[in-house]
Amino acid sequence: MWILRRFSSSAVVLLVVSCILFVMCRLTPVSPARVVLGADARVEQIVAFDHEHGLDLPILQQYVKWISGAVSEGFGNSFITGLPIGAEIVQALPVTLEVVTLAFIFTIASSLGLGMLAAHKEGRLADQIIRTACITGLSLPGFWVALMLIRTFALDLPWFPPGGLATWEEGWSAHLLSLTLPSLSIALYYTAVLTRLTRSTVIEVLSQEYVRTAEAMGLRSSTVWWYVLKNALPPIVAMAALIYGYMFGWALIIEQVFNLPGLSRALLTAILQKDYPMVQAVVLVITTIFVVSNSASDVLQKIINPAGNAR
Amino acid sequence: MSQVNHGRRALVQSIGAASGLLASGASSITFAATTGTLAVAIPSNPSTFDPLNQTNHDAMVVNQLIFENLIEIDGNGNRVPMLAKALPVVSPDGLTYTFELREGVRFQNGQPLTAEDVKYSYEYVLNPANKAYRRDVWTPISSITVEGRLKVKFVLKHPYRAFLDYMTKYMGIFPAGSREKYGPDFFRHTPVGVGTGPGIFVSSKTNDYVELKRNPDYWRRGYPKWEKLLVRIVPEESARLAFLLSDSVQIIGAPSGRDFVRMRSQAGLVGESKLARGSSLFIAGNNRKAPFDDPFFRRAVSLALDRDTICNKVCLGLVEPSATPMPSSSWWCNRAANQSQSFDLAQAKAMLAKSKYAGGASFDLTYSAQSYLIRAADTALFIQSQLGQLGIKVNLKPAELTTVFSQVALGNHQAALLAVVSPAEPTFLSKALFSPTEPFFKAAGYDNPTLAALIASSYKVESRDKLEPVLHRIQDILAADAPIAWIGTLKNTNLWRKNVRGFEVSEATTLRLAEASLA
Repeated sequence: MWILRRFSSSAVVLLVVSCILFVMCRLTPVSPARVVLGADARVEQIVAFDHEHGLDLPILQQYVKWISGAVSEGFGNSFITGLPIGAEIVQALPVTLEVVTLAFIFTIASSLGLGMLAAHKEGRLADQIIRTACITGLSLPGFWVALMLIRTFALDLPWFPPGGLATWEEGWSAHLLSLTLPSLSIALYYTAVLTRLTRSTVIEVLSQEYVRTAEAMGLRSSTVWWYVLKNALPPIVAMAALIYGYMFGWALIIEQVFNLPGLSRALLTAILQKDYPMVQAVVLVITTIFVVSNSASDVLQKIINPAGNAR
Repeated sequence: MSQVNHGRRALVQSIGAASGLLASGASSITFAATTGTLAVAIPSNPSTFDPLNQTNHDAMVVNQLIFENLIEIDGNGNRVPMLAKALPVVSPDGLTYTFELREGVRFQNGQPLTAEDVKYSYEYVLNPANKAYRRDVWTPISSITVEGRLKVKFVLKHPYRAFLDYMTKYMGIFPAGSREKYGPDFFRHTPVGVGTGPGIFVSSKTNDYVELKRNPDYWRRGYPKWEKLLVRIVPEESARLAFLLSDSVQIIGAPSGRDFVRMRSQAGLVGESKLARGSSLFIAGNNRKAPFDDPFFRRAVSLALDRDTICNKVCLGLVEPSATPMPSSSWWCNRAANQSQSFDLAQAKAMLAKSKYAGGASFDLTYSAQSYLIRAADTALFIQSQLGQLGIKVNLKPAELTTVFSQVALGNHQAALLAVVSPAEPTFLSKALFSPTEPFFKAAGYDNPTLAALIASSYKVESRDKLEPVLHRIQDILAADAPIAWIGTLKNTNLWRKNVRGFEVSEATTLRLAEASLA
């Protein structure tokens, strides 16, 4: 019942987002016809384009037409390329999912390790190094990190390609190599965020009386740490779920710098080209991922800590 | 708003600085393309492969390799025959153009090219039902007659100088009946076999690449020398440069000015530029709004622009200074008119004193926040400081490129800094800006029937001795009234790797790849 309530509220969120998104797209002063037909298009050509694409209809009618088309026709066709948007998303989504998921795995693995180490060595050299590294990671702009990674590991040391995506047909190693630098560029910032959170949460749990009791009872260190981690996890899981959604936002810049044909790049191109149907579809897909990851986090927290107050 | 602008400016500057770091020492070669494959990078997606509906100069590289025309512009800007055996025979009244086609040209599907195909292609464009974006440029055609298997005659309604220039750009010949057979989506997305060009369409992926393969039956024997051509879509300037440096691509279009200047002499790379005669960088002040409604104010602005510094220092030499819409190094240019607008602060102050705005004025200058061909932001900043010396306050208003152009077309702007590329014919831009029926008329909103009549008459004369006086009179009017403050003519630039052979920069802002190959 709780899960049902959680997912129905997510559906409402999606509906509200779709409305706001639709209205905001229509508020831009430029007709996409200017992009499709060229800057020197004649007024009558623009009027014909707008009519052909239903842009001259009342906004409510346009919304109903779009939302029903989204369900029945997979979001219709792009204004700019004329290609089916559903098919474009199916092509682009796996690229972004791969980059973001790889970045997420890297973030989780490194931040749990580093955060626990820093907490364990609180105030000592290892802790100070990790904290300094975290502040540096938080301070560096993602696009700059991406450019520096390209400069260092694709040009000076030719270990990785400077951009583009090698397909699976080109070999799994080539594919993974082409995903490594973009994933690292995204992961660096969030590793810093999650490491700091893990450190502070673990330090807090370590100061709890039951930990001291467990240690006094002579429990093995690994067992004590297991309990510590288990109790420290809920806020980390909640933040990790949010991070997974935020990473799609960072992918917007990173896919552009690394020239990856993913969903975020499709969104940026669509925004610049005023390709409303594509913008709406991609944002809706990303919002869905964000909402689902948040709901999943709540479910996970419920599983980890059934007595918790996740609703 | 100003915070947003500062943030954006800072972001652009940071990206520029970072791409500078990227460019400063890299020279390794790895992830190279396969032998026989030429890879190039362009900034934007082709929205269509149909030659009749092209609006993007960069993306034209693809459709111009698939489709061809009767004539083309060579690397030096001269008209040369393409599918025609020679340049056309033109009747003395300038109304009839007769073309003889080459023998032995075949479409990529094996079908021989005939005069019927040429007639069909042009009649398709002219049919309003087909909604070709550039139909307007062909409407002076009165009739097209097939005179023989390989001979076709065009009769015009009136003399039309630009007829042959437009033939090189806004057209492509396809087989008779192919449109009905395949439908519009086929030409837009997968035009396999319907062109005569050196490249056969293989596949494409939005935001990623377009792949062409060599046409083995191409009429120019021995060309192309590549087996496969990969056109990669790389919008980010620094990413294009990284692709070039790592040999992931061998030629890049539209490098940033800074990258071009820095990298053109780098070991292993070649960089060249060519004047795009039809292009211009200018300030379009809206003559229907204050303060550009006063000709003295407009002249003051024009005289206060130090074009040499803007073009050679701010734009890094990638713009040729000119105070008229005609390039100063071409015979189109009226030197006296050009000279009369040279930088002269004292004269500018005198002009401002005569204007309604002698006490000073302010205006919003809209420009593209996106860097393309030039960094408009740098130029706008310099203009702001120059006009500040006159007591004119310039408010900088960066906006997204499409927004800038659409607001200018609607006449909603006060002033806009624009970089425009058009076909290399002398009055295309003037016609677009000063003929009241043209979509860009509101950019200046300058209605001068004498000027409009002169521009119209320029299309009725072809030879230099008749055209030159008309062009000079047009420029005299533009210098006297200064409806627009011209800054200069843009140059096209490309960077490529030294192992590329047979490539030269095109006057049009696209890549000419039929002769390019890898050593």
